[in-house]
Amino acid sequence: MAGIVLQSSDWLFVASNADFLLLGTIVTVLLTITSLSLGFLAGFPMGAIEVYGPDSLRSVVGTVGVVFRGTPIVVLVVVLYFGLPIPQLGTVPALDIQVTPFLAATLALGLRSGAYQSQVFRGAIQSISEGQMEGARSIGMSKLQAIRHVIFPQAIRRSIPGFQNEFTIVLKDTSVAFAIGLAELLTRAENLYLQPGRGTAVMEVILTITAIYFVLTVATNRTLDRLHDRYAIPGGNE
Amino acid sequence: MSLLRLEDVEKSYGTEEVLHGVGFEMDTRDVDVIVGPSGSGKSTLLRCVNRLTEIDGGSIFLDDEDVHAMDENDLRRRVGMVFQDFNLFAHRTAVGNVTLGLTEVLDLPSGEAHDRAMEYLDRVGLAEQADSYPAELSGGQKQRVGIARSLAMDPELILFDEPTSALDPELIGEVLGVMNDLADEGMTMLCVTHEMGFARSAATTLTFLDDGRIVERGPPEQLFDDPEHDRTREFLGDLTEIH
Repeated sequence: MAGIVLQSSDWLFVASNADFLLLGTIVTVLLTITSLSLGFLAGFPMGAIEVYGPDSLRSVVGTVGVVFRGTPIVVLVVVLYFGLPIPQLGTVPALDIQVTPFLAATLALGLRSGAYQSQVFRGAIQSISEGQMEGARSIGMSKLQAIRHVIFPQAIRRSIPGFQNEFTIVLKDTSVAFAIGLAELLTRAENLYLQPGRGTAVMEVILTITAIYFVLTVATNRTLDRLHDRYAIPGGNE
Repeated sequence: MSLLRLEDVEKSYGTEEVLHGVGFEMDTRDVDVIVGPSGSGKSTLLRCVNRLTEIDGGSIFLDDEDVHAMDENDLRRRVGMVFQDFNLFAHRTAVGNVTLGLTEVLDLPSGEAHDRAMEYLDRVGLAEQADSYPAELSGGQKQRVGIARSLAMDPELILFDEPTSALDPELIGEVLGVMNDLADEGMTMLCVTHEMGFARSAATTLTFLDDGRIVERGPPEQLFDDPEHDRTREFLGDLTEIH
């Protein structure tokens, strides 16, 4: 085996395609950023609604969350990519948006991440003592003002550890965009080893992109650790 | 015309009735102290006034205006509250705790809000701790920030919900000192407290609440020295012994 895998000629092949993989890395990073951002924009309000919202809205949000958390991510990507543009729905005609693989993948990963992030934020919000809300309401702030100025800044700090998990999952799950041909890291890896005569380079290519995912994950987690320490409330929480 | 008037206020939590028709009036500059055994409904009564708790029956009037017809945020801008557990915003400094309501509720520009917050922190003797976070302050300091936060909103009335009950004994004095100063300056205060010394020296009216009913209400000397009801004598006698 050792003779077949990890040959120097295959490593050279990988090295000579570094720019090709770099572009894939950029796509992966961009997709992670757009998905996490969408997930945050959807997830924080969902988490807040699950704690503070009226019953009706809470059950709607709860159901949406269950559906998105309960569907395999590949299914979501495929359904959104092939499902959104079908003629019966129109190509989202009012907006005249073309559903590109990148957009479909962002929607799938982002909405699912929102469903998971909502639980991270719900837990963080619930961990903040009720007195914080009462203190804010007692000086005449509305519920929304209290959430924005008192609950949100504290909940965000407490969400960082949970968010680190979510970040890691989304980063690695961007690879499912492979199913709809988006030229991210995994798709590009396959493009390389499927070239005629390069079948021997499968392991080298896959190990290389694994290392790239690993470096991205570790580097970002370290950064988030620092952020967590830096913005920790002096003296700890009440 | 009274500043605050309660008429036949009733409140239940589930099947448990906590307030059975409580009514009284207080005027501007009054310092009204409510005492009573735990579970007598004192805190609930206080929370009904600024609608942190909604009443089930009766009415409450602020300046002859039914508080239930008012926007609750407007009501709370006019009626401040100081909590037993302080409820300071944990992520904001002492001065940040005071400015938040000024910028967000009263819409003051941030420079002006800061100046005003410093003025009130100075008034409670905490100008030097302005940049400390709540977790870096002692209980007595936290409560004084809580009072400054409420005071800075320029309320017509402040509700004090057992402001010294969570404090170590040696820290109670500094909070009572601030409350005494406020009383002297003519702040209208409705206080639930077990501090009999404060009740005797600062209160204009003392109310003994038991089992959700007013047992006796009058000048503090009367309740302390010549109560009409044995229950009042018993309770105040016990408390005075302890404190």
